[in-house]
This record gives sequence, C-alpha cells and structure tokens, in this order.
Amino acid sequence: MFDTFIVNPMINALLVLYDLLFNNYVLAIAVFTILIRLITLPLNLRQQRSMQKTQEMQPQIQAIQKKYKDNPQRMQEEFQKIGYNPMDSLTGCLPLLIQMPILFGLYRAIMVTLGSTPQAMFELTQRTYDFVNLTPLLPVSNFFLWLNLGQPDPWYILPILVFGTMWLQQKLLTPQSAPQKDGKDQNDPAQAMSKSMQTTMPLMFGFFSLSFPSGLSIYFILSNVIGIAQGYYMRFITAKEKEEAALGKKQKKKVVISEPPPSSADIAVAESVEADLQPASSGNSSAPSSKKTQSKRRRRSKK
Amino acid sequence: MTTIRRLIKRPIFLFLLLTGLLLTSCGSRVASSNWPGLSTDGEKLYLANGPTVTAYDAATQALAWQYPGADEAKPNLLFYAAPSVEGNRVIFGDYGAAGGMLNPKVTVSVYARENIDNGSTPPELWTSSDVAFDKIVAPPLQVGDVVYVGTADNLVLALDATSGDAIWPEPFEAGHSIWGQPAYRDGVLYVTSLDRSLHALDAQSGEELWSTEFEGAIASRPVLNEDLIYVGEFGGQVHGIDISDGNILWSAPAENWVWGAPAYADGTVYYADIDGNVYAVDAQSGEPRWQAKAAGAIQTAPLVVDGIVYVASEGESTEDVTGGALTAFNVGDGSQVWRVLTTTPLFTAPVAVGDAVVVALQNDTSILNAYDLQTGAPLWTISPPAEG
Repeated sequence: MFDTFIVNPMINALLVLYDLLFNNYVLAIAVFTILIRLITLPLNLRQQRSMQKTQEMQPQIQAIQKKYKDNPQRMQEEFQKIGYNPMDSLTGCLPLLIQMPILFGLYRAIMVTLGSTPQAMFELTQRTYDFVNLTPLLPVSNFFLWLNLGQPDPWYILPILVFGTMWLQQKLLTPQSAPQKDGKDQNDPAQAMSKSMQTTMPLMFGFFSLSFPSGLSIYFILSNVIGIAQGYYMRFITAKEKEEAALGKKQKKKVVISEPPPSSADIAVAESVEADLQPASSGNSSAPSSKKTQSKRRRRSKK
Repeated sequence: MTTIRRLIKRPIFLFLLLTGLLLTSCGSRVASSNWPGLSTDGEKLYLANGPTVTAYDAATQALAWQYPGADEAKPNLLFYAAPSVEGNRVIFGDYGAAGGMLNPKVTVSVYARENIDNGSTPPELWTSSDVAFDKIVAPPLQVGDVVYVGTADNLVLALDATSGDAIWPEPFEAGHSIWGQPAYRDGVLYVTSLDRSLHALDAQSGEELWSTEFEGAIASRPVLNEDLIYVGEFGGQVHGIDISDGNILWSAPAENWVWGAPAYADGTVYYADIDGNVYAVDAQSGEPRWQAKAAGAIQTAPLVVDGIVYVASEGESTEDVTGGALTAFNVGDGSQVWRVLTTTPLFTAPVAVGDAVVVALQNDTSILNAYDLQTGAPLWTISPPAEG
C-alpha cells in the first residue's frame, strides 16, 4: 500500500526528472524537492499563519486559562470569543507529520533508484511504470562532486549543512514569542516545544544525516533552503498586512470614541484583533502594548 | 535532566526520534541486501550470504570453514560476492562498513584466508582494508599471484594475492559500478561495467587498451572463447566481440534485458533474459538455434554440463509469495528435461559439483539445495550456519 501510493510514484517521478534533466540525479532531486514543497506550500502557509496568530494571542489565552482554570466550559467560551481554537495548536505539527511519509518514501525511492546492488536494481524494474523506458536511464549516475549519492557524506559537509539550514529554517518559521514579565512563557507548553524543536530537530537531523544516503541529505538541504525563503516571504507578508491594518485601525479609532462603552467580551475581542495587528518585529512588546490599549479603552469608557 | 525529561514527554520529539532511528536503521550506511554469491572449486562449495562466508565439503556437506567465526561477531559486515579460490587460498570482499556512530566514511575490505577443512574460522593470510569506499559485488579473480577486484565505486584493483598490496600505481576507474567478475586471457584483463562498456586492460599496468560501448548497462561478467568475448547487456542483446580489438562481430537479440552472463559450450552460446526466455545461438555467427521458456524471470547465467543447460529463475507466484525454479533444457533443441520448484526465487547462478547441480537460496531453512544433474531428484540441503 505504502509502496504503491508513495514509493513507486516517487521512484517514477525521479526517473522522469532524471531523464528530462540531462541524466543528472542531483538536479532530479532538486526539482523533485521543489515540487514537493509546492504541493505542501498551502498547508505550510496556513499552518504558519495559524502559529503566528496563536502566538500573538498568547497573553490573552494565558489570562483566560488562569482565570477560568476551574471552569473549562467558560474557558472554551472565552476562547471562542477571541477566536482561538486550542485544536489549532495541534495543526502546527501537521506539515511535519506529512513530511514523514515523504521522508520514508524518498529514502526508499533514492535507494531503489540508485540501484546500488543487483537486488535493488531488479526491484527497480518491478516498480517502474510502463511509460518509463528504463534501459537508456540506467545506471543512474551515483556520483556527484565528491559524493556517492547512495552513501553518507564522508566529509561531514552535508550533515553540517542539514543542521545549519534546518536551524535557520526553524528560526524563521517559528513565530517570535512575547516575553512575559513573570516568566509565564516558561510554562507555556506550545512555546516551550517550539523552542526545544528549534534546536533539537536540526541536531537530530544533522545526526541522522551521518547515516542517510547523500541523496536524501541533499533533499533535506534543498527543502530547508526553500523553507528559509518561505520564512522570509511570510515575515514580509505579515509585516505588510499589519502595516496596512494599523493604518485602518487609526481611522477606526475616531469612530470608536463616539460609540457606547464596550462590554468585557468586546474588549477581549478587540484585544485579539489588536494583537493580530501587531507587526511581527514588535512581537516582543505585544503584551505591554495590549495592557496600555486596555487601560486607554477603560479611560474612554469612563468618559 | 529536567530538559531531557520535558523533551521525552513531548510526543512529537519521540515521534521524530523514532522516525530518524527507523530511517537510519533500515538503511544503515550501506545498501545491505543482495543475492547470495556461490562458487565451487569442484570439491567445496563457497557461499557469501549476508553476514557470513561459508565453505562446505560438497561430498559430505560438512562445514569446512566459516567467516566470521561463531565467536567473532562482525555485525556490520556483509558479504555477497562469490569467493575466489586458488589452491589453498580463498579471497573475498565485503560490502563495506562505516567507521563508527559519528564516522560516516564507508570503507571496503578484501580478505584472503586459508582454505581449511576443519569447520573453524579460516586463518588470516592478509586483509586489505580501505581498498575502496563502496561495496564489492563482483567476485574477485585470481590469476597466479594477482587478484583483480572490481568495486561498486567504479574501480578495478590489482592486488598481490600473497600480501594484499596494490600492484598497479592507480586503480583503473570505469564510468560506473563493476558487478561482474573480470576475465583474463594472455596478459589482458576484460572488465564489464554498468557504464555500458567492456574494457580491455593491460593486466600488468592497469592501462586501458580498448573499450567497446553498448546500448545498455552490463551487470554480468564477460565470457571468453578462443577468439571472441561474449557480453550480455540491458539493451536486450548478446554480443560476440573480437577479443583482439573489441569490434562487435555479431549481436543476437533477446526480448528483454540480458542480466546474467552468457554461457559458452561446444560452439554454442546460451543466454537468458528477464522475461524468462532462454536462447541458444551459434558462437561464431550469432545465428539462433533454439529458444525456450523458463518458469519466470532470469537474472542468472545458464550452466552447461554434459549436454544439459541448467537455468535458475523465478518460479510460480502467488499473491504474496514468489517461488523459484531450476529448469534443465536439452542443449540440442531446448526441450525441457526436468524442472524443480523452490520456495524462494533463484537469483544466483547454479554450480555443478560431482553429480549434483547446486542452487543458493535466500531462505531461513535451507541456503543450498542440491539436485541430481540428470533427473533433478533432490539430493541434499544445507541449513544456514550460526551467525558470527
């Protein structure tokens, strides 16, 4: 089942790309990586936005959690009011989970496609679709620069690159946290997990790359580089959106002054909107800013 | 400690760790699986099959020696290339092993051991480590006191068979892996490679004399006649090549890839393709003589003994299991003499020893099966040895 739907399509895609790209296996892996990233891009972007939003809501989420810790029903209601769904935090792992079958599949696909033993090459003949003419493609070129693509890099360069690019990608894709005066972020599981993943994941994959075939390490590196570009793009887009929203907010304020005093629920919703509107670069100051806004609003309501 | 405990509590961390371990363990650092390598010197059978290389007395089926010994665990080493025997010396290569947990460099070794009969670990003559960085799939070839070794990292090495020292100043480098045993005649070494070429090398210096390129990759050894070399290739052809200059004299077609080496006997060349077809053609002209059908796909070289062609192949398949088959054909007209079925596919060329034709299996219960050359009646089986 896994072979039929994951491994075999990957093998055939790699072979077709190898054929189209001048029998260069590294180029085939590169284009394959781009295709995979394109396919998973909508999911990645959505997940990143969701993470960003959740991150910005953290002060309010924590306040609600603290206030209604003995009343889960009310806690859920308050979460709903500020537009937060706790299940969303689980979707943060989704792109990673989707990567897993891709990784397993690609590992198998690379080993089979390279056909480094007679048995592996024979397996290749049985997994190739009819429209792929295997004879002129074989043997798949197993060397690139100093690398034997079916074996790990003996000079540690790829494992180091895997670590470096993955670390940078994690750093860019992880939303900036808002430091709490009382150190509450230490107790926030999502935040703690993000922080630990930012270091442990690159370390783990760098270590695993000591055993992975070079072809798979090349996939990791290229995938991470695309992730880095995506991270920069997301930061740019988020900053731009917040800038535009901040302009809109200034115009809105004039109208708000003439309106009747808001309820506590309105305040919470407004806070969440404001938190959303904070620029990414000012994420570190979102909590104090939110308190200031709250007190301003209260002053306005007294008037 | 607290950090570690916190990490362990995180399912995603454990999931990643498990995934990585699975990926690294299923693959190790070397592609680890292949078909057994089988050879014989007429008295003993030599089998390289995963973690062990073993020798059995063909007459008694007693274990002659085993490497590594039962008390000498070498868990990372794998052997699949058929051992080469010359007198009292047996030489074989491994699939390579990494230097350790943090050392990804894979090094391959060639082993020369004394060919003993007492069932113990064969004494070391020499071990040449770091000869290559990718596995030895091709059986080594001993010519006098020189052993020629083809490697999967495209090299042909010439080593002193008495010491293991390199003889050529530089190894010959082909365009791709070498899976077939080299052949030797009158100071010239003939090497086939997956680079689709047959290379003729000066056996003294390793310099290339000529090479001939074909349509498809060549996974098997070249076979020599008096004045021709026969080569089967993935382009679905077998070629008769002039031994002096590499010119292709004739090409005989097959319906699919010719994976196994051709066999030459009494003016006829026999070969098979992966669609299960067996062919006989005239050795001088390539004119077809007959064509027959085996039980399944054939990756092995035919074996010709006393007027019978033996072909090991895949056999009957059910939904989940593919069996194997050994079929005997009459050399005159290709008619089937007998056929026996095995529980696992036969991917290793059969060998003849005494009155028996022997096949190697990838099986938990038997690794060698012997059948009567004339009737196909089962004679004996050998079970896997205890691993080192």
